[in-house]
Amino acid sequence: MGKQEDFVLRALEERDVRFVRLWFTDVLGFLKSVAVAPAELEGAFSEGIGFDGSAIEGFARVYEADMLAKPDPATFQILPWRGDGPATARMFCDIVMPDGSPSYADPRFVLKRTLSKAASQGYTFYTHPEIEFYLFKNTPEPGGEPIPVDRSGFFDHTATSKGSDFRREAITMLEQMGISVEFSHHEGGPGQQEIDLRYADALSTADNIMTFRTVVREVALGQDMWASFMPKPYTTHPGSGMHTHVSLFEGDRNAFFEAGAQYQLSKSGRQFIAGLLHHASEITAITNQWVNSYKRLIGGGEAPSYICWGHNNRSAMVRVPMYKPNKGQSTRVELRTIDAACNPYLAFAVILAAGMKGIEEGYDLPSEAEDDVWSLTDRERKSLGIQPLPKTLYEAITVMEESELLADTLGERVYDFFLRNKRTEWESYRGQVSAYERDQMLPVI
Amino acid sequence: MSGRPQSPKAALIRAGFVEPDRAAQDLARLGGHGAALLPLLGATADPDQALATLADLAQRLGEGSGDGEPQAGFLAQLEEDEGTAMRLFAVLGASPALGQHLLRHPEHWQELRDPSLGSTRPAAFAVRTDLLEAVGADPSEDCPTANIPDAEAVDALRVEYRRVLIRLAARDLAHGVGVDDVAAELSDLAAGTLDAALAVARQRVGEAAAGCRLSVVAMGKCGGHELNYVSDVDVVFVGEPVEGHDEQAALRAATQLASHLMKICSDHTAEGTIWPVDAALRPEGKAGPLVRTLASHLSYYERWAKTWEFQALLKARPVAGDLPLGDEYVQQINPLVWQAAQRDGFVADVQAMRRRVLEHIPAKEADRQIKLGSGGLRDVEFAVQLLQMVHGQADDQIRQPTTLSALAALTEGGYVGREEGSALHDAYGFLRTVEHRMQLHQLRRTHLIPEDEDALRRLGRSLGFLRDPVTELQRALREHRREVRRLHEKLFYRPLLDAVARIPGGASRLSTEAARTRLAALGYLDPEAALRHLEALTSGVSRTAAIQRTLLPVMLEWFADAPDPDAGLFGFRKISDALGRTHWYLRLLRDEGEVAERMARLLATSRYATDLLQREPEGVKLLTSEQLVPGDRHALQREMLAAGGRQEDRTAAIHQVRAVRRRELLRIAAADLSGLLDVEQVGEALTDLTRATLDSALAVAVRAVEFDRGKTLSTRLAIVSMGRLGGHETSYGSDADVMFVHDPLPGADPQDASRAAQAVANELRRLLAAPGSDPALEVDADLRPEGKQGPLVRTLESYAAYYAKWSAVWEAQALLRADATVGDPEVATAFLALVDGLRYPADGVGEDGVREVRRIKARVDKERLPRGADPATHLKLGRGGLSDIEWTTQLLQMRHGATVPGLRTTRTAAALRAAVEAELIAESDAETLIDTWRRVSRLRNAITLVRGKGSDQLPRDVRELGAVASVLGYRAAESDALVNDYLRCTRRARAVVERVFWD
Repeated sequence: MGKQEDFVLRALEERDVRFVRLWFTDVLGFLKSVAVAPAELEGAFSEGIGFDGSAIEGFARVYEADMLAKPDPATFQILPWRGDGPATARMFCDIVMPDGSPSYADPRFVLKRTLSKAASQGYTFYTHPEIEFYLFKNTPEPGGEPIPVDRSGFFDHTATSKGSDFRREAITMLEQMGISVEFSHHEGGPGQQEIDLRYADALSTADNIMTFRTVVREVALGQDMWASFMPKPYTTHPGSGMHTHVSLFEGDRNAFFEAGAQYQLSKSGRQFIAGLLHHASEITAITNQWVNSYKRLIGGGEAPSYICWGHNNRSAMVRVPMYKPNKGQSTRVELRTIDAACNPYLAFAVILAAGMKGIEEGYDLPSEAEDDVWSLTDRERKSLGIQPLPKTLYEAITVMEESELLADTLGERVYDFFLRNKRTEWESYRGQVSAYERDQMLPVI
Repeated sequence: MSGRPQSPKAALIRAGFVEPDRAAQDLARLGGHGAALLPLLGATADPDQALATLADLAQRLGEGSGDGEPQAGFLAQLEEDEGTAMRLFAVLGASPALGQHLLRHPEHWQELRDPSLGSTRPAAFAVRTDLLEAVGADPSEDCPTANIPDAEAVDALRVEYRRVLIRLAARDLAHGVGVDDVAAELSDLAAGTLDAALAVARQRVGEAAAGCRLSVVAMGKCGGHELNYVSDVDVVFVGEPVEGHDEQAALRAATQLASHLMKICSDHTAEGTIWPVDAALRPEGKAGPLVRTLASHLSYYERWAKTWEFQALLKARPVAGDLPLGDEYVQQINPLVWQAAQRDGFVADVQAMRRRVLEHIPAKEADRQIKLGSGGLRDVEFAVQLLQMVHGQADDQIRQPTTLSALAALTEGGYVGREEGSALHDAYGFLRTVEHRMQLHQLRRTHLIPEDEDALRRLGRSLGFLRDPVTELQRALREHRREVRRLHEKLFYRPLLDAVARIPGGASRLSTEAARTRLAALGYLDPEAALRHLEALTSGVSRTAAIQRTLLPVMLEWFADAPDPDAGLFGFRKISDALGRTHWYLRLLRDEGEVAERMARLLATSRYATDLLQREPEGVKLLTSEQLVPGDRHALQREMLAAGGRQEDRTAAIHQVRAVRRRELLRIAAADLSGLLDVEQVGEALTDLTRATLDSALAVAVRAVEFDRGKTLSTRLAIVSMGRLGGHETSYGSDADVMFVHDPLPGADPQDASRAAQAVANELRRLLAAPGSDPALEVDADLRPEGKQGPLVRTLESYAAYYAKWSAVWEAQALLRADATVGDPEVATAFLALVDGLRYPADGVGEDGVREVRRIKARVDKERLPRGADPATHLKLGRGGLSDIEWTTQLLQMRHGATVPGLRTTRTAAALRAAVEAELIAESDAETLIDTWRRVSRLRNAITLVRGKGSDQLPRDVRELGAVASVLGYRAAESDALVNDYLRCTRRARAVVERVFWD
């Protein structure tokens, strides 16, 4: 081992790498990091780096705390934001038990399992997220109102926009880390930004989203701003979502594409959407996991509140975007509920599982919603068979508790931990007295 | 020979033709030459095919000149020159594809006139020269470049490739060149072809090509100099800038060259295709850049490469383009390959690779697969490479690129036994030849033995089986594949014995150091100890040692496949030390492979069964299939009593009872581990055994007490089975939950009868619990009225009085499991009649009772769980565990037992099924409960088998958990999947319990 170890030290030293950060994600989607010196890297590859799993949300029961983080070499990147000093690199890790068996508590394994189940039927899953977030002038303080960095609107371009400087730096940094950016612009709310990542296989995309959230927050800090992916920071301004385009491929062929079919959407594509709709309420707790997420889903703007699909219908939960001629490979469907504060591994896993269920069981796709579903009356919606999405976190976890699909996809440990954690969140939220209540009541009663 | 005149048709059939009518027509097309050529045609793989193509070819050659003369010339030459005819016909009969080529390029038949074909192997450089010249490149240049138009060059390359291939096929088919030589010549041909394709690519890329050095390094079969007729040619590209050129630009040009080269070989044109070039073995596979610099290759392998990638590098060899660069690549990479064995994860990797060898593709065609199927080519190749990886670090003599030469070197070095090495050599050579012949036929990449009779006949004949080709071919295939299948034992394990053997003479053998390395690679944690055991077992010249030497290789493999190989070998040594000299022991193991395998698995998996076996090694006899059927209760009882009856002394008598019990425990455990019993059958068998033991012990105790008191007993005794014993659900290591009841004989003094009964119960418990060489049985009577404070034995009346006055709901609940079948049958029946009213109250247990049961359950859930236990994984008291399911069932029984006869059973599953019948519970709910109950019970049994003692907690120790998972049929490294499955089924059960028990 001597020579090999020397070489790794040397190679990392050439780029002056002093630390390698091993990244993994807890069940709620927070990034965790263990720093190792280059000297420890060799051991990390063959056996993993041991850590106390019980210290991580949702990972382990206390007595089986020993877990190992095994870096995935395909994800090696130098972190670009550490200035000119010694460089730091990062790798994503898989979590394994001491006997090498993959841990069911690891969100990355949840997604890998779901992907390999789809792969056994010949499918690979691609995703393309449009990530929205707000930039604020100040760091958040309890009780304080956040101040947006600008007052611009959708696609506005202003000569001195702090936002565009910010986007330029963030995008440069993302590209340096091998994450391709498709598109970026100012979003509807003041200080609100959108950056779209290029479509890639779901595992890479999930890794990229984790990196993205870190990069964006780092760059903001570097420019004396604060970035947040909170789904709905303002009552009056639009929330931040993560509309995600998804598609299945069979080998090199887009399985959603069928020339000549309605919207060029194949039978599998239709069944996939049917699966998303059928299980929409069950997966909402994962795609929209916070109390605050549901304030975004109240309706209007870009966020859906009803279970339906449409073609270019921005009020629908699932949208089939306009087909571009001769671009059969780009046929895809867009899920509009999901927000950027989710755990992307779990969210992609449940989306895929719901869609695959639709294909396996051959669900029928209900008819398309052609109207703006917000403008319909309850009775009209009812007659069209359009159900509402869960209105609160409480409703969402109540549905999830009955879902075998979710238990099966997430694995028992993640499923159980997630439910327990969210029940606690709901209980502690339920007892909060808000500014709204005081404003409404104190003056009059 | 009969003197009967033969019809021409019969003569053709005798000569080997299948369709004589068509053959006769074709023969006529040969004019006067037919008769002379006939016998030579008949000796080919497919005479009909050979003849038809020959006639076509003759016609084609005739057409060429227009007057028919050359035809006569062609056939006359064949008639004259038997060697040429033999070569041509062999090719035509074995390969219609090459026949077609000859029809397109008739002049190529002249190639086969070369008499040196039989004796001279074409030199690699000559082959290269021919191919390069065919595309108009100058072979003497450093970077030969094609200079005929591109499309022509691509076609010319194909034609030239086939021309050389025809010569090669003729050598192979007609001159019996060895299979390894054929494979090597095919590799030379491939190398030359790659170089010529590169020359064409250079012309395409133009000037930019001059700025880069590109080396084509062959991997896999081509690299190993052991290519097939048709297979992907695996390569890796190394590129460097020519001095003074920009590296980026050079790499771009090199990448262009490489991708053109690949296309030039694989494109389909009017002249067909050659073969696909596959560059997927490069760093990062298909995701990585096609061409890398030497430094970039090195840094990848030093940093990221996995063990299997190093295995692929074993065969790296520069074959085309810039050879000095390729040489440098190989020289730099080589040390890394051999260091791979020192990497930390190597042992785990090797084991994973080994599993991959064993996990054959479960294809429908597995039997016909000559490459991947069990006993196929891949088996040999993989095993040989693995041995090279394990031992090549210390011994550079075995770093040979081809499978056969590596095998020879491994044999020479003592890493593989001499006989095995040579048998395997033959088998591999034969299978490769079969593969060659199959591929040659249509020049297609196939590894499937054909199914239809004609194809099999042709294949058999091409291998020289002219007599009864189909049967002979299948027989030979079967034999060779069987030989290969036994290869793991031979290759991996047998040499380990040579390492510890003190065989005189200079025969090379595995060194102790190498043996240690190998044992560690196979998963033995303490190779030192393992070698000591091996030495002890096999040393000496006795017959015993000789049998052990044949037995151990396969035993070692079975141990290695089980959770604890070290324990397996150690246990085997202890048993063998104890039994080694008996006449039957080794014979049984040698002749009954099933017994040996079962024993190996048992010793390396189950501490519980190992302990039982070590207490009495004779138990090995039980491990045959016929023996692994649990005894019927009454038969057991008779045997225990008969044995016990002969013993006047109570200690000796109980010893017999307990010895029979120990033997039966082993029988049940072994049958369970072998998957011969399901969890219900195990419960039933253990219950029968416990009851037989109690019954026999009762008889011994009665006799003892009568002897002590000097008078016969004045009362009749029965033992009521409670708890899981009552429910026929006993697990390994369960205590026997019981209550003692007696009924004084008419006229007996009640005090005296009571004292006597008390004494019997005490004596029985003492005898069964006393320490001894056989496992003790704890008899637990805590469920009796007043618990530990109450008298151990009561009369029927006393029970009646107690239950009438004091009974609590929990006691009624416990009585649901009461089953009285031990001791006096009348007393037993009377007891059950007595408690029936209590456990199945006429109107069902009232609201108060239901509330009380729930209250107690809530308290038990909270208080009984041991401190620090995890409720999610506690098998008995945890969420959806056994207690949840049993209480739910019991509540249904207490509420409805009086009206639903089916509920009046002590068995959990039976009660639940009756509840479904009576529509007291939904069928799906009951199925969930039964399924979970069975899984959890099975898991609990598996834990006891592995640990040697019971536990109600899912193991926390990873090794233990892994072993339990293995008993339950999970594959290696799936222990967390077991946990996940457990959590799933208990969650579902809990949901049912919430509905059925709590609401």
